[in-house]
Amino acid sequence: MSLPKISCVPASRLLSSIHDLRWLLRSVTPLSVPRRALVQSEYRRPGQPREDKPQWQMFKFDFSKGLEGIKKHFKLLRHEFSGRLVGPEGKPIIEHMLEQNRVIWEFRGPDSLQEWTLSSDREIGGQSEIYLKLGRNSDTCFLYGTLQNAPPRDGETRYSGYCTMRSKQPLASFDRKKHYDWSSFNTLHLRIRGDGRPWMINVATETYFAHQKYDIYSYFLYTRGGPYWQDVKIPFSKFFLTNRGRIQDDQHPLWLDKINTIGFTLGDKAEGPFQLEIDFIGVCKDYAHTEDFAYEVYKRNPEV
Amino acid sequence: MKCSRCLLPLVRSGRTAAQRCALLPSTSQLIVQHNEQQQVLRYFRCSPASAKRGPVPAQFVKEDEEKGTKSLATKEDLFEQVAKEYKTKDTFNKVIDVFTKRDIRRRGHVEFIYAALKKMSEFGVERDLSVYNKLLDVFPKEVFVPRNFIQRMFNHYPRQQECGVELLEQMENYGIMPNTETKVLLVQIFGEKSHPMRKYQRIMYWFPKFKYINPFPIPQPLPEDPVDLAHLSLTRIANDLDARITIYQLPCTDFTESGEEIKLPHIIGIQSPSQMELLAKHNPEKPVFVEGPFPLWLRKTCVYYYVLRADPIPLEEKVEEPYDPERCFDYPLQLDLDLDRDLGDDESFDVDDLDEGPVFAMCMTSQGDQATLNQWISGLQQNNPILGKVPTLFRLDAGTQELQGAADTEPGYRHQAHPEAQREEAQPAEDPEAVVEEESRRSHGMKQ
Repeated sequence: MSLPKISCVPASRLLSSIHDLRWLLRSVTPLSVPRRALVQSEYRRPGQPREDKPQWQMFKFDFSKGLEGIKKHFKLLRHEFSGRLVGPEGKPIIEHMLEQNRVIWEFRGPDSLQEWTLSSDREIGGQSEIYLKLGRNSDTCFLYGTLQNAPPRDGETRYSGYCTMRSKQPLASFDRKKHYDWSSFNTLHLRIRGDGRPWMINVATETYFAHQKYDIYSYFLYTRGGPYWQDVKIPFSKFFLTNRGRIQDDQHPLWLDKINTIGFTLGDKAEGPFQLEIDFIGVCKDYAHTEDFAYEVYKRNPEV
Repeated sequence: MKCSRCLLPLVRSGRTAAQRCALLPSTSQLIVQHNEQQQVLRYFRCSPASAKRGPVPAQFVKEDEEKGTKSLATKEDLFEQVAKEYKTKDTFNKVIDVFTKRDIRRRGHVEFIYAALKKMSEFGVERDLSVYNKLLDVFPKEVFVPRNFIQRMFNHYPRQQECGVELLEQMENYGIMPNTETKVLLVQIFGEKSHPMRKYQRIMYWFPKFKYINPFPIPQPLPEDPVDLAHLSLTRIANDLDARITIYQLPCTDFTESGEEIKLPHIIGIQSPSQMELLAKHNPEKPVFVEGPFPLWLRKTCVYYYVLRADPIPLEEKVEEPYDPERCFDYPLQLDLDLDRDLGDDESFDVDDLDEGPVFAMCMTSQGDQATLNQWISGLQQNNPILGKVPTLFRLDAGTQELQGAADTEPGYRHQAHPEAQREEAQPAEDPEAVVEEESRRSHGMKQ
């Protein structure tokens, strides 16, 4: 049964139920902490010599590029200001409070592919490949490539063979970091069509301390394969904490208020080609899911 | 560096002892001879292997006589000396026994364990828990257990602890769950708060949590018979419990008129009642496509399946059929309620629904050529008579494997009785595909 799309909602009826207007200012950050700058450069293998160029040669100063940059950033700034007049995060307050589902990423045009970064074994010297293109109907993304397990012969790498696709950090005007706020949702909903391989979903949040830099919350994504689309619903309470790929002893639930990126990794040690099609990635609120966290959070030094 | 090379100086007197021993009648046990200084002499004298497998350990003795003086020998040599055809679990265990009985102090056990871990896959024992326990047994017991707080603070015997962790990590990589024997061994060797023990605790915590989270589990030993494998994968991708498998042809060999042997491939198809209904409702003027091969991975094996599908019906031609109220008496299939629902109750995503066209059947065969798939279609025709009237196009691309969209160019088909294969370049230039198409008008029961 499909619901009719709600175009105008009697706002007065719902707003009158809010007594405390301080609730409206939820999205404003209360105090200013020094923000870490965004670094989006290529991975430099430890041991590779750093580039010896002076700072002024690192950037390309071009008039047209500068002009485009000004246009883009001021446009974004204008949207931000006008968005505040509409409501929190640029959406009307009703939508912000009541929405049950939000589509975060969908692949409806070639611009949507610019939001994603691909990375594979190749960076550390392996031979896996990964490519991303739009699906046949321009409605889905098609991630494909080959996985090779042979580790690079550098004397220290023992295991290899991985491919990942990671979303880029959302940026506000003037390349400031922006975060996704999914605190009103509790489930990740994906519509995918894989080839039977098990993937891993990695969600990275905004962290403060240096040792948290590579903190990622992960969970497994098992694909069925076949010509039919697969709806995958993973509650955020199932994501476990890992750092640099190693699962940590101190587990805590994923905090949804400052999410930076989401990524998909394949490393199932099966050599050969792979493919994954993604229709959309969204978040939803599942009222039937009441679990806070799936793993134990006590016992730092358990006895044997 | 996890290097397993080390200097292994052979005891000079060992050679004379070996010569002495050669005169003794052959025994089935290792003889440990002591010389005047009551040192334990090391030489190779292993029990002969079982009669059916031939003289495996004799090679050890020969090697020893050749290396008279001190030479650089790696711990891997022990494993490499075993001939290729004898690399089994028994011989692996024997090599471990040779090492353990050689020296009471187990000199060089760390390098030996690293070498053994590397060689396990050659011997085919990397998934065997008892072998890992036996390898863990190589560590001397109670030597590495810290005895006071200073030893506990300062990472007692770090190299051995690292080796223990490495062994457990290899177990973890192959997905083997350790058992109580492993735990007891670890406690005896390293103590209770050591790194290998912590690693064991981590494995025992996380493995049970993740063992059954696969919603589409694959049986552990995959069926080797291609027909059974096809059965398993087709039921997996059908996504419908009512789907029925039909075996159209079992693998067999056939003889042609000239006496040549042809191996006929297996053809197994699957179709569910809802797919049959969709096919029956299909407009006979629109063609159906046989597409493939699409990959399906089952753990480490990749199988290929083919799909019979049609293009999606454009919006103008879509007919909304009302639900038949007599289909289900338990509850009404359609409700016309005027509920006052607003944004807070909307549970659908704001996304256009993808319509890629109905899928009518899937099949798997080892040989994906036109003739075999024709056989499949003819077999399908017995239950779906409409296939006799509908033109069938074959899109067997060797390039990218995705379901082709509706907007793709459709190479025109000819209404002729004899099949004609033509090569055509499809429109997207990035992936030139060879589109082999054939128009086939079939009559009932005509097998090609």
